[in-house]
Amino acid sequence: MTPGLTAGARPPCAATLREGVVASLALVPSVFVYGTVFGGLAVQAGLTVAQVLGMSVLVFAGASQFVAVPMLAAGASGAAIVVTTYVVNMRHYLMAATLAPSFRGFRRAWLVLIAHLINDESFAVAVARSRPPDPWIYVGSALAICGAFVGGVGVGLALGGLVSEPERYGLDFAFPAVFLALVAVQLRHRADWFVAIGAAVLAVALALVLPGNWHIVVTGLVVSVVAAWLLPLDAADREDPR
Amino acid sequence: MRPDVWVVIVGMAVATYLTRAPMFLALAHRPLPPRVRLWLRLVPLAVLPALAVPLVLVRDGRLALGWRNPALWGAAVVFVLAARRVNLLASVAVAVAVVALLRALA
Repeated sequence: MTPGLTAGARPPCAATLREGVVASLALVPSVFVYGTVFGGLAVQAGLTVAQVLGMSVLVFAGASQFVAVPMLAAGASGAAIVVTTYVVNMRHYLMAATLAPSFRGFRRAWLVLIAHLINDESFAVAVARSRPPDPWIYVGSALAICGAFVGGVGVGLALGGLVSEPERYGLDFAFPAVFLALVAVQLRHRADWFVAIGAAVLAVALALVLPGNWHIVVTGLVVSVVAAWLLPLDAADREDPR
Repeated sequence: MRPDVWVVIVGMAVATYLTRAPMFLALAHRPLPPRVRLWLRLVPLAVLPALAVPLVLVRDGRLALGWRNPALWGAAVVFVLAARRVNLLASVAVAVAVVALLRALA
């Protein structure tokens, strides 16, 4: 329990926080290994240890960091790198909007900090657990993922990438695997199936024609808005605890 | 290495924080209309397949629907296990092992 963190009365959070950590364990090894890969690659590209750690803590968004390092090494303009980072990470807008209502009653100073930890994996873990997502599950998961990533980067800096080709061990597949598993447990109503399948089809079609990560943002926005427009309103308050 | 690395890193950090914080801070303390609550409930169902499925079906900018695509088998395995409420860690571990094995055999 962290007294003073929230204004309103809430159930004890330490147990839920731990649950969030445990729920993220399927991802910790892969996040860690990709952290080591990033650390290894970034020093090879010529960044200093402080720069690699600084980027991992301050940006903390793996995909955009993997994109930025070769751009830095190749001499791309700073503005181009920053804009690319922004575009790659635009999907956070949707995740932040979804998570935000769960954090009613939290102090603003904590929200400012917790916002920085928003990541794909913790978002997936939290929304699959309950709707609306539990804030403490999310925070527990974010701490686990953040620790695994930054820890991995540190190990990668010290030892070089632990695994030179994570793909050989299927570790890259842990990411889509977790996302798919978390979709599977959320399909409760027929409308859920339509939304998920519609999103899958549109995302694949867009991924074939759009560069970078655009297909995620565009699909997430278009499919959720269209479905929210069409579905009857009573679906809004259907809460489905796991 | 170029001299502006720290400037770029801080720029990246600011750009990324701008994708995370505004919606998070704006919506945390506000009661939302039902249509918006419905929208937020549906966002994960749209975003998660959009994250996952292209990683499985798109390889080097082309559609990989053939049975020789290991990720397709891994996806089928993890989806069925998870739908049967097998533990997440176990489902993912089995799927990762299937993909690693099929890649080794290929």
